[in-house]
Amino acid sequence: MYRIKFLFSRSRSLAYISHLDTLRLFIRALRRTDLPLAFSQGFNPHPRLTLALPLPLGVTASNEPGEVYFEAEVSPEQFISELLYQMPEGLQVIKAIEAEPDSPALAALVEAAMYRAELRSFEKNESLNDNLGDITEKSLEKLMQKNEIVFTKSAKKKKDSHINVRPYIIEAKRDTQTGGLVVLKLLLKAGSRGGISPVFFLEQLALESGDESLNAACWNLHRECLYYKKGDILKPLSERM
Amino acid sequence: MHNSKIELVLSRVQKPARYLGNEWNSVHKDHLEMAVIMAFAFPDLYEVGMSNQGLKILYESVNTQNNLLMERVFTPAVDMEEEMRKNNLPLFTLESATPLKNFDVIGFSLQYELSYTNVLNMLDLAGLSLYRSERSSDDPLIIGGGPCTFNPEPLAPFFDLFVLGESEEVLPELLLELAVLKKKDAGRKEILKHFSEIEGVYVPDFYEPIYNEAEKLLKINNKAVAPGRVVKRIVMDLDDAPYPTVPVVPFIQTVHDRAVVELFRGCGRGCRFCQAGYIFRPVRRRSAEKIVAIAKNLVAATGYDELSLSSLSSSDYPHLDQLIEDLDNKLDGDRVKCSLPSLRLDSYSVKLAHRLHQGRRSSLTFAPEAATERLRRVIRKNISENEIYSALNDAVTAGWQGFKLYFMIGLPTEKDEDVEAIISMCRDIRNRFRGRVKGALKLSVSVATFVPKANTPFQWEPQISLQEIIRRQQILVEGFRKIPGIDFSWHDAETSFLEAVFARGDRLLAPLLEKAWKLGCRLDGWSEHFSFALWQQAFAKTGIDGAKYSERRFAFEDCLPWDHLDCGVERELFVRENKLAHSYGEEGGADNV
Repeated sequence: MYRIKFLFSRSRSLAYISHLDTLRLFIRALRRTDLPLAFSQGFNPHPRLTLALPLPLGVTASNEPGEVYFEAEVSPEQFISELLYQMPEGLQVIKAIEAEPDSPALAALVEAAMYRAELRSFEKNESLNDNLGDITEKSLEKLMQKNEIVFTKSAKKKKDSHINVRPYIIEAKRDTQTGGLVVLKLLLKAGSRGGISPVFFLEQLALESGDESLNAACWNLHRECLYYKKGDILKPLSERM
Repeated sequence: MHNSKIELVLSRVQKPARYLGNEWNSVHKDHLEMAVIMAFAFPDLYEVGMSNQGLKILYESVNTQNNLLMERVFTPAVDMEEEMRKNNLPLFTLESATPLKNFDVIGFSLQYELSYTNVLNMLDLAGLSLYRSERSSDDPLIIGGGPCTFNPEPLAPFFDLFVLGESEEVLPELLLELAVLKKKDAGRKEILKHFSEIEGVYVPDFYEPIYNEAEKLLKINNKAVAPGRVVKRIVMDLDDAPYPTVPVVPFIQTVHDRAVVELFRGCGRGCRFCQAGYIFRPVRRRSAEKIVAIAKNLVAATGYDELSLSSLSSSDYPHLDQLIEDLDNKLDGDRVKCSLPSLRLDSYSVKLAHRLHQGRRSSLTFAPEAATERLRRVIRKNISENEIYSALNDAVTAGWQGFKLYFMIGLPTEKDEDVEAIISMCRDIRNRFRGRVKGALKLSVSVATFVPKANTPFQWEPQISLQEIIRRQQILVEGFRKIPGIDFSWHDAETSFLEAVFARGDRLLAPLLEKAWKLGCRLDGWSEHFSFALWQQAFAKTGIDGAKYSERRFAFEDCLPWDHLDCGVERELFVRENKLAHSYGEEGGADNV
């Protein structure tokens, strides 16, 4: 069994497909190549491809890690060059490396994610943007002062569970070096050990502000980087590859 | 590619990927270099439209022409429509986000009657007048194709022309012709006159239905150069016909998300209720070599892991077992599984299915349609009780865990005992087989209501009344309540009624459609959107009696609203088949099957 780890980016034109659709897209693209995909065992064998962390609908990304297994040896160069012609515009593999077959799964390593949220300015109205910038900053401050932000998880058959997700917000601040645009940098815990969705964060921010024009749909969300933990320090997952 | 308004709207709606248009294999061309540009409009949601094989065939047959372009558009979901109207965003094609109004031609695929309000809604969202008489030569030519064109009369005042039959050859022909006429600055009337001479093209403006005072249709007069009867177009040799091997691969899951290769067109069985069985005649086969070659190309171009061998009755393909073996050999390296969508209820089919579904054997789908042998003779679904049970027996022996069974109520000559027989047959199946599968036998039963369709032997037959549909459904509900472990479902009576109204309707129904759409009817095929209350308002406000349409029995000598539209089957055959059906009437009838 051979294993390739890769990094891919997703741009606006493909931001609106779900995680499962993204997986399906990768698998179909790989099936169109001559690469020797490895399949799982069982009645319904499927290609062994995973992405480190699902990308939420509407979110673009620049450094998303994923991994895939092959039956025969595939070089990273071959992987990239064969896949290049089969990927639609908007989804691009930017790097690939060979990986040890039994090193830990990428998904298990994910600890946090860095998002960039940019408020869409549809009208060129600077004073409005300034104003929204002020409101954003104030609401952000209020939100971060809270000790508890409750996320209600509703399950089909079980009772709703309530989780305090405030500890999952590692850092959230306004990026001021953006020439008048309203941009937030959000470092949020993510992965199998608990996390918070950036969309939920923005919804809370909108609630705090009471301003319709700040609702979650008004932001362009971009995932810049995923992190793993080395000791107590968060390090970019992309550095491991 | 999308402008910022579309961006904004997409960020606010469910499943925005329905509106993206940059899917794998989608075609993008420079509009300025095209002689004619056409929008293919499917009047239902993306997931339904993208499963339609006709769309794929036409998309490729037009787009392989250098100077022609076809882009796609589907009915926007309710939330999308709301956003579009709020933001003054006109309906646009997916590939280039071009407003529909900018196209030379908008072609609607007319697959079922319940999509008609979507057609009107899409015209309106495009910023076009609904009625042909209110549009100008500068507006796009509005054309229609698909099964409903064998009686498109309720839609006739909205359309410029319909193409009867198979369009893969005639459509590019039409568009190239339009290119020539466009260059000559021909007006709309001149263009339509020209097109009405092309075989298979029906220009409704050139036909005038004549009614008496009681609104009884007396005759249909043809004007200008239009032929008295429009005869459908067919493709004679499927091996030579264009077939899509590079279809668009959707980003999101659609109803039929797989590669499809058509084994043959038409069906030789002649079930009397089945419109497809008549309008797609004659039976034309694709050769096994061609099928294998297409399959190979399809899989390579799409990356699909499932290949559907489609037709109206796939087990009728000669030497299908051999074909499946060939496909297995050719595709095995690609790990593609084949599936057969329409299986006959017999042992041969079970054997084939067994071969195809190695490993996963949940349930097998069959359509006995009627539960008594008499009624099956009436509809010409000639299969005996013994054959049914022996096929089911084979399936259980082969390891299937259950069955999905389709029946119909309201068929001509049906009596309560025929309805009750559905219950007893299913009870019987359950009792016979439940001890023979691992775990519980999965048995699901779905019952539809018969809708008499144009160009079938049952075109003269009435549909049973709405009250009667509900009463017969109630018999089934009561009966199945007493049998545990059967998942029983039935089609909404009101939608079956509406289907019948429009399937046998005429041009007088156009105002009803318009009124229903104005009142807010759309996506009528979706139970969560369908509102019969709104339709009832529309009937009341237009003074149209729906039952007069659905329940009327035509006499053989009556002029039918679709009498000028010819599907290639002799009227005498329909008459003969109808009489034969009734000969099996109440007493059991002639027994010569």
